[in-house]
Amino acid sequence: MRTSVVSVWRHLTRGLQALRNERALDRDLHDELSHYAEQLTNSKIAAGEAPDRVRRAVQREVGNMTNIREGVRASLWETTVSTAWADARYALRTLRRNPVFTLVVVLVIAVGIGAVTTIFAGANAFLFKPLPGASNTGRLLQIDRITPNATEGTQASYPYYKYLRDGSKTFSDIAAWSKVDLTISRGDVGRSAYGSLVSANYFSVLGVKPELGRFFLPGEDEELMAHALVVVSHDFWSTQLGADSGLVGQTIGVNGRPYTLIGVAPPAFIGVFTPLKTAAWVTLSMQPALRPTRSRGVNASWLWTFGRLRDAATPQQAQVEVAALTKRYAQESEEEKWARKYTFARTIPLTGLPDDAHKVMAAFLAVLFAAALAVLTIAGVNVVAMLSARAIARRHEIALRAALGAQRSRIVRQLLTETMVLFSVGATLGVLMALAATRAIEHLPLLTDEPLVILLPMDGRVVLFAAILSLIAGLLFGLLPALRSARKDLQTQLRSESAGSGRRRPIVSNVLVVGQLALSMVLLVTAGLLVRALQSGQRTNPGFTADGVSVASFSSESWGYDMPRATQFFEELRTRIEALPGVQSVSYATTIPVTLQNSGIHVTPDGEYASAADTASRHLIGTNNVGADFFNVLRIPLIQGRVIGKQDAAGKERVAVINETMAERYWPKQSAIGHTFKSGDDQITVIGVVRDAKYTTLSETTAPFAYMSFAQEWRSDPTLIVRSSAEPPTIAKAVAQVIHGMDSALPPPKVLTLPDAMSFSLIPQRVAALVAGALGLVGLLLATVGLYGIVAYSVGQRAREIGIRMTLGAQRGDVQRGVVRDGMKLAGIGVFIGLLLAVGASQMLGAYLYGVSPLDAPTYLAMAALFVMVTLLANYLPARRASMADPMRVLRGE
Amino acid sequence: MSPYHSPDLALTDDANTDVIPGTLDMLILKALSLEPMHGFGVSRRIEQISRDVFKVNPGSLMTAFQRLERDGLVDAEWRQTENGRRAKYYSLTRAGKKRLGVETADWVRRVAAVSRLLAAD
Repeated sequence: MRTSVVSVWRHLTRGLQALRNERALDRDLHDELSHYAEQLTNSKIAAGEAPDRVRRAVQREVGNMTNIREGVRASLWETTVSTAWADARYALRTLRRNPVFTLVVVLVIAVGIGAVTTIFAGANAFLFKPLPGASNTGRLLQIDRITPNATEGTQASYPYYKYLRDGSKTFSDIAAWSKVDLTISRGDVGRSAYGSLVSANYFSVLGVKPELGRFFLPGEDEELMAHALVVVSHDFWSTQLGADSGLVGQTIGVNGRPYTLIGVAPPAFIGVFTPLKTAAWVTLSMQPALRPTRSRGVNASWLWTFGRLRDAATPQQAQVEVAALTKRYAQESEEEKWARKYTFARTIPLTGLPDDAHKVMAAFLAVLFAAALAVLTIAGVNVVAMLSARAIARRHEIALRAALGAQRSRIVRQLLTETMVLFSVGATLGVLMALAATRAIEHLPLLTDEPLVILLPMDGRVVLFAAILSLIAGLLFGLLPALRSARKDLQTQLRSESAGSGRRRPIVSNVLVVGQLALSMVLLVTAGLLVRALQSGQRTNPGFTADGVSVASFSSESWGYDMPRATQFFEELRTRIEALPGVQSVSYATTIPVTLQNSGIHVTPDGEYASAADTASRHLIGTNNVGADFFNVLRIPLIQGRVIGKQDAAGKERVAVINETMAERYWPKQSAIGHTFKSGDDQITVIGVVRDAKYTTLSETTAPFAYMSFAQEWRSDPTLIVRSSAEPPTIAKAVAQVIHGMDSALPPPKVLTLPDAMSFSLIPQRVAALVAGALGLVGLLLATVGLYGIVAYSVGQRAREIGIRMTLGAQRGDVQRGVVRDGMKLAGIGVFIGLLLAVGASQMLGAYLYGVSPLDAPTYLAMAALFVMVTLLANYLPARRASMADPMRVLRGE
Repeated sequence: MSPYHSPDLALTDDANTDVIPGTLDMLILKALSLEPMHGFGVSRRIEQISRDVFKVNPGSLMTAFQRLERDGLVDAEWRQTENGRRAKYYSLTRAGKKRLGVETADWVRRVAAVSRLLAAD
């Protein structure tokens, strides 16, 4: 029969009607059948048959109305639904009668589902979720200019960006942006804002619509300094500007100059680099006003670019076109020589994370996801064990139902429904657990002065994932016990069980138990290794003394200060801070050590000046521009020569203090003092050598590093570093007061202790150790409960045998030893396999294991010992109970 | 085939006179093609016209009516009988008429084919 849409619709609506009013269908059928019976009777009587024969014939045909009704109902789809509903209600009743069992199973399921869902929420937020606030994000591509072998990349210059934008036929439009520190003020005090300089088409390319006011119009980014307009984020508008909609169209201060606030972005949109919350947007053409020291000529590379594909174009076509345009641009344009090696461009989906961060994140989450799946598997095996044990306890009920004529499929369906109810309740609780976990992660205190934001929304996709996951898990782990308890031979076997002889099938095969133990062992070892790595990271000597040092970063450009004013300000600030009680020394630097910040330059040491014509003799070294007293504040020991002092001022001979590694690399077996190196056209003289230290991360291998004089290589955004014997909060308050006293319009500074700022660099390790540790402990707990259950069950099965042995004179200790030995055999195999698997799994952790070998023996030994102890306990408890039982009562009980 | 098209094999108690599997719907449509009638009438007509070769049991009939109604091939209407009972009358819809034509043609074609096969040596 062909089925049309209309027909499906009719089946659906009629079925739903019937479901809502089941009695109406019954009444209709009853009436119809009664009428049928009446007609049948009449016709037979009319045919002259004897009344009692007629009655019997009618009785035979329409007598059993219930049967007919059931037959009709069975053919209707909605009956399946109402049966399932009845099954579910029955299941709920049964489960309510066994609250302890239900609670334990639900909790175990919740932990498993919750763990996987939490990690998925992370993956969803960082990997799968399109850029928040943008529309039709599948058509947005980021364009990166790189070398053909993809080893190096550069940001786009404005002319290159315009060349792409005007030349592309596959993109409907291409936008560009860069970041900028802003200070936004409304008359009184300024507020720091993480800002973006954007092309005028930025919002339209992203498909973002203003919440209030308007965004930039085409052309408003063309003429330098012409359009002093600013758009703020919804968050900034509501928390910093008092959610005042009257402000739109008004003038507010941006970096000390009047700008017109033209619009507010929608709440979901926080920019295109989503780890940081963008607070305000200004057009590219305002750059000279907002960050004068960064405007280094028209060919400077300072922009990131992305575009929206035309409907007709494919990403492949865009890739080909952008690569061709870039190649031609590198040949034809008047760029500096160094830029011409970037002859290639790559298009990748615009995700809110840079490409390399995206890959790191994916690998990191894959590891955590595998760990969470292991926990779910362990939980699932426990559920199988508990359901099977319970099915055996319920054998009488099931046998009774089978005897009353319930079909096997009907019993399986009922048992499966029960499992699904357990899993739905467990999954709901699991989602709530995941919700709590993600909220906790979102509110982790992050010690950084960046507007870092972690958003792990539990959106529809996450909930759908959890639902599908629990459905699969429920079927996987529920079907086996249900099929087994409905098996006929099991029932016959149970009937004859009082014979009490022979071996019994274990409720869950030993393979599952061993697997469960091995998996949790892998989790534990992994967690142990990560914790050790974290400890080793924290113990690492950074090469300087961070305790007692406080840091505060500034952006003098965002205050609207020019260089002379800023120089004067920072000099006076230093004098005032030095005068504070408890302060020992004060200096400035452009990067705070070991906070993931880095800066570097290409240099040519004097020994290679002759061959410096090509790039082969350019070496990348790390740099930091530091003020006088820097080495004093951080207590970095001087080995040779002198440190940077006040005499190394602008206009004097360019000087550098280098680390031991750099001295040994470029001037081996001689004193580096007095030697020079070149950076571009500048020649710099080495005046001192200091001890090696850590610069960007604690795990880095030491590379050549040079400290330049801050006064000679001025930057508008230095960090104040203060060594003080005062308490950190006291010094933070004092610094804020001093700054407010000098210029009350400046935003209050964020003062951090250096150890706090440095702990930020260990966040990946900390998160990994935390999550893996939690999963490992949960896994161990679940596996132990599972083992305990198995042992307790088998002891219960052997109660009679144990009773007989004890009446025959076996000692309590012997019995206990016997039981424990059996259980520990399983545990031993589990530990052994687990250790082997852990050796394999730990190889994948390589990148996260700073300072710890993947085969770190203490970790393996400690975890194996912990495991053995816990499993011993899980074996001993049931063994003890069995041996404590009065043998006579056990025997009589049979 | 609609998924609800399952057991319309109508076994009666006393004779080997079951409706050929899969044909009950067609027979009902045919019976209704002359005039609207109630369930017993349909059953009666099938028996009479087939000269008691086929007998339809009420269970299969009711199931078939539900199915045909939901497929939109028949319409149903409750009427009051003389002695105050409710009786359900079925009538053919346009879709039902069309379906009857298709099924009849199909049946004739198949019967002819089977006859030829049986006639062949």
